[in-house]
Amino acid sequence: MARYTTEMEELTDTPFYILVSLMEAKHGYFIMKSIETMTNGNFIVGPASMYTTIQKLLSAELIELVDEGDRRKKTYITTKKGVQLLKKEVKRRQEMVRHAEKMFKEKGEPLA
Amino acid sequence: MKQTKYVSSGGLAFSEEKDMKKLSKYAKKGWILEGFAPFGYRLQKGEPATIQYSLDYQMDADEDYFAYFEAAGWSHVCSSGNSIHLFYAPVGTAPIYSDKETMIEKYETEKKKMGKAAFIMLIITFTFMFLGALGSYGWVPALIRNGSLILGYLSLIALIFTGMPYFGYRNKLNKLLKRS
Repeated sequence: MARYTTEMEELTDTPFYILVSLMEAKHGYFIMKSIETMTNGNFIVGPASMYTTIQKLLSAELIELVDEGDRRKKTYITTKKGVQLLKKEVKRRQEMVRHAEKMFKEKGEPLA
Repeated sequence: MKQTKYVSSGGLAFSEEKDMKKLSKYAKKGWILEGFAPFGYRLQKGEPATIQYSLDYQMDADEDYFAYFEAAGWSHVCSSGNSIHLFYAPVGTAPIYSDKETMIEKYETEKKKMGKAAFIMLIITFTFMFLGALGSYGWVPALIRNGSLILGYLSLIALIFTGMPYFGYRNKLNKLLKRS
């Protein structure tokens, strides 16, 4: 699955939220719960999407396994490289929102 | 004696969604999925249930894989060769795939696998057919000729059973990609 290392330059929503959630080390299945809580249930990651994306992020070295002795339950954490990419992505998304907000303001279009 | 029933599959590459809907319809009538059967599914008579089924491909799924499904409300029913896995959940449970990127990957992997197998079968079929054809000119002994023809037909069947799913998955991918 090495091909993903080059592919993951822009983050779609699922890997984005997983990287955010894994800024604190977690067991795999707590990530889904934490994302659901973080977004007030507005963003739910399905288990198949979760598993596939975790594998992808691992092979891209954006997250890594934390050795906690218990080998049956895998714990992950976002790597430095992952945090770097996340920062870049946050900036990119902030820019996008800023552009839209600016246009809304110009047109006198209320956001809510 | 437990009552069981066999339900045929339209082929996972072609009618996965249809199969899953069919299984959930049977569950409503009290026929609960028990496992895979050759070219179909084995059901068992039980309590009627309002449930939905989902299928996933994952080679060498580990404990974490099943833990994720369990945590999301999807119970494991059966697996085939630790690569095809079937789950059920109450109607209303969020789907196992929540984004298109990973769903595309699911079928991309299957398409590649089937494509590889079909390609190998194609070569084998051609080789045996070629040997068989040479035999009909008397250039190889009759035993080799007949053996080649039989093996050729067998590999042709294998070619059909790998080639057709390959095109099935390809179709599915094209539809998924068009929606974006």
